Amino acid sequence: MRATAVALDRTLAALADPERRRTVDVLRAGPHRAGDLAKAIGLRGPAMSRHLRVLRESGLVEESHPEFDARVRIYRLRPAPIAELKAWLELTEQLWADELAAFKAHVEGR
Amino acid sequence: MASRVLVAIRVAATPERAFAVFTEEIATWWQPNGLFQFTPRGPGRLAIEPGSGGRLTETQPDGRVFEIGRITVWKPPSELAFDWRQASFAPAQKTEVRVRFEPAGSETRVTVEHFGWDAIPPEHAARHGFPIDVFLRRHAEWWQALLSSYKSWIIA
Repeated sequence: MRATAVALDRTLAALADPERRRTVDVLRAGPHRAGDLAKAIGLRGPAMSRHLRVLRESGLVEESHPEFDARVRIYRLRPAPIAELKAWLELTEQLWADELAAFKAHVEGR
Repeated sequence: MASRVLVAIRVAATPERAFAVFTEEIATWWQPNGLFQFTPRGPGRLAIEPGSGGRLTETQPDGRVFEIGRITVWKPPSELAFDWRQASFAPAQKTEVRVRFEPAGSETRVTVEHFGWDAIPPEHAARHGFPIDVFLRRHAEWWQALLSSYKSWIIA
């Protein structure tokens, strides 16, 4: 549970930046090269690299190389962090449902 | 608004009494929840200091006090809002809880909304000068699209 909370915090921190959210948007259409991503988002190479590093460390994206050229980097989305985010929302909903049921029992004197 | 959690319940009480019990007796009705701890030091006793700017705290078994958040809206008997931070949250990460108490016949409908950092409540956005409608709509759409496309990522 603790490890999940840490991973979730990384996901939320990574998605807290609008340029990184736009990067995720672009990657939803499919894998992209770093250069094409920078062009699509309107960022310079170094800024794009910084964002991609944060996204990679959060586990939201992964990097690979085409067989023909090890210098080319291709980025794609990984679904696991979003699954964790959904699980957190469901857990939060369950928490409040339980607490409100306890509140109702208390206020109604049962 | 996929990253907003909304839960509602009806209680047999007036809004005045529901608001008072919710805030004054939270130490009694709040159930410690093992899955959702504020700090790793284990569940403690919750308390709400009345009034805007008051604190929502948890007093640990060892006597230490953890501040969960501050009251941002205090409008008895209809509305209450407070910030919500767990010890595991990243420094920039903040969530907000809004509670509404609305008359429903002789009863009261109590609605809890828990917003993540991304789904900023309207007055919060106003404080920071965002164009509210556009801002919220964009975020809501973004999250809906993100979560609904989650399945297609797995298949792809």
